[in-house]
Amino acid sequence: MYETIGIWVGALFTLAIYSFLYKENPIYRLAEHLVVGISAGYGMAITYQITVKPRLIDPLLSGDHWILLIPGILGLLYITRFIPRISWLSRYPIGFYMGTAMGVGFPLTMKANVLRQVEGAMVPLYQSGMPWYEVLGNSVMILGTLAALIYFFFSKPHKGLFFGTGSKIGIWVIMLGFGATFGFTVMGRISLLIGRIQYLLGDWLHVID
Amino acid sequence: MSAVNIWEKMLNIDRRWIFLGIAVVSIVPFFINFGMPVVTTTEVEDIFYYMDDLGPDNAIFVSFDFAPGTQAENMPMAVAVMRHAFHNNVPVFMTANWPLHHGMMLAAMEYVFNPSTVGFYQEVPFDDWRELREADVTAKGELVEAWENQGNQLSEGALGWVFEGRDYAAMGYAPVFNLVILGMTVSIETQYPVDAHGNSTGEMPMLQEHKSLREVDMALTSSGSGACVWWVTYAREKIGLPIAFGLTAVMATDYYPYLQAGQVIGQMGGLRGAAEYEVLLAENGITPSTDKAFTGMDVQSAAHIFIILLIIMGNLAFFAGGFHKKTLLKGGR
Repeated sequence: MYETIGIWVGALFTLAIYSFLYKENPIYRLAEHLVVGISAGYGMAITYQITVKPRLIDPLLSGDHWILLIPGILGLLYITRFIPRISWLSRYPIGFYMGTAMGVGFPLTMKANVLRQVEGAMVPLYQSGMPWYEVLGNSVMILGTLAALIYFFFSKPHKGLFFGTGSKIGIWVIMLGFGATFGFTVMGRISLLIGRIQYLLGDWLHVID
Repeated sequence: MSAVNIWEKMLNIDRRWIFLGIAVVSIVPFFINFGMPVVTTTEVEDIFYYMDDLGPDNAIFVSFDFAPGTQAENMPMAVAVMRHAFHNNVPVFMTANWPLHHGMMLAAMEYVFNPSTVGFYQEVPFDDWRELREADVTAKGELVEAWENQGNQLSEGALGWVFEGRDYAAMGYAPVFNLVILGMTVSIETQYPVDAHGNSTGEMPMLQEHKSLREVDMALTSSGSGACVWWVTYAREKIGLPIAFGLTAVMATDYYPYLQAGQVIGQMGGLRGAAEYEVLLAENGITPSTDKAFTGMDVQSAAHIFIILLIIMGNLAFFAGGFHKKTLLKGGR
């Protein structure tokens, strides 16, 4: 019974959102606002139910784990943002979180997103026994990376053989990247439509498996 | 009506006709099966064959890092890998990096364990097999035998039993998930003292055998946001945990560099990536048939052909109408 109601609600709200494609209307607006409100409410409920209660309130009420008072109070200080006179107190949890995240994240982020990527670009252009397509692929990758970097080098005018031609090739490389991204984006958007159609025709109307 | 007007009309066509066209080409293939082939790619095969080599002594994480907005793309990937793991008796830890993503984890479980799903797995909740656990019957083979000896029968169409705490653990959402990943490199139980159902994770056999991410063999992040990189940053770079990406199509090109640099073992990109995994599962007899992602690929192809035709027609009208020589169309373009 509840499942059926849920499916009907889901289907009707899907149609309400798609009604925007015809033109903006109050039904669409209602659905849009409900999405935002329900998402926020659901997030709060889940956070309380599986985080705040079992990880903070229950252990504190059991009489052990008094150490949890420290993060508990620190977390509550966030709420002082709503009281102008003591809103400065919210800077403590923000500072604590930012400091921790930076300290923990910086070395690993540098390694994952910079050093490993640089390492990944250091490939041989040619080695004996290397198939021709790998030679070609590595050459395109290295030259393409260099050309794109030249395009973003603004301390010299983009003129001459190195900076002029390099930046022109860089634009082509970047455009090829945009083209691939656009193709994937079209695929992604159609995939989302497919998901909704499967829901409407399958779960709701039962006309497909 | 002059020829120029026809071209101009084509270029100024009401976009609602295009939406209608897309709707038609997206619905028709569900009723008329074209049977377009899905060819598997290396980046998906690499995940499949890596997974296929794992067994009961291994364990994986499936991280639900997506919201309902990208469910159509991300859900089939996570479901496919879960089925593969259950088939090979590989324990699966399920996590979520955001409250909304927690719901996606629960939805995936509901789908895989639902008797109306073709090729479902029959779940046994944690409390239901407490007696056997207390009698120290926790190895999968023995456990299934003892469970069936108690008079429990596998439902028709079910591919096997999955025991909560032995075959899967629904860990769910935990806040500041990047630091949770980092914490799990030391101890999973510390980060998740209880699972999403309120069960004590310390009592779970799979937690006793795999205490930290160092004792886990792979993490798949089925992701609709940049949070997938957290797994690379905090698990791959910290302890060398093999990571597999399941990404939305929009994200796919941005994350190929991680594949090229060898930081991830493979990548499923969008619905197509999920469809490829479903094809590999079906071809290898792991699932009785392909599932929703594969079904969607006929629609995908039809929609792409329609969009390509529109682009060709648009360009034809633009050049044939001589608009490349003019500054503005009537519509202001």
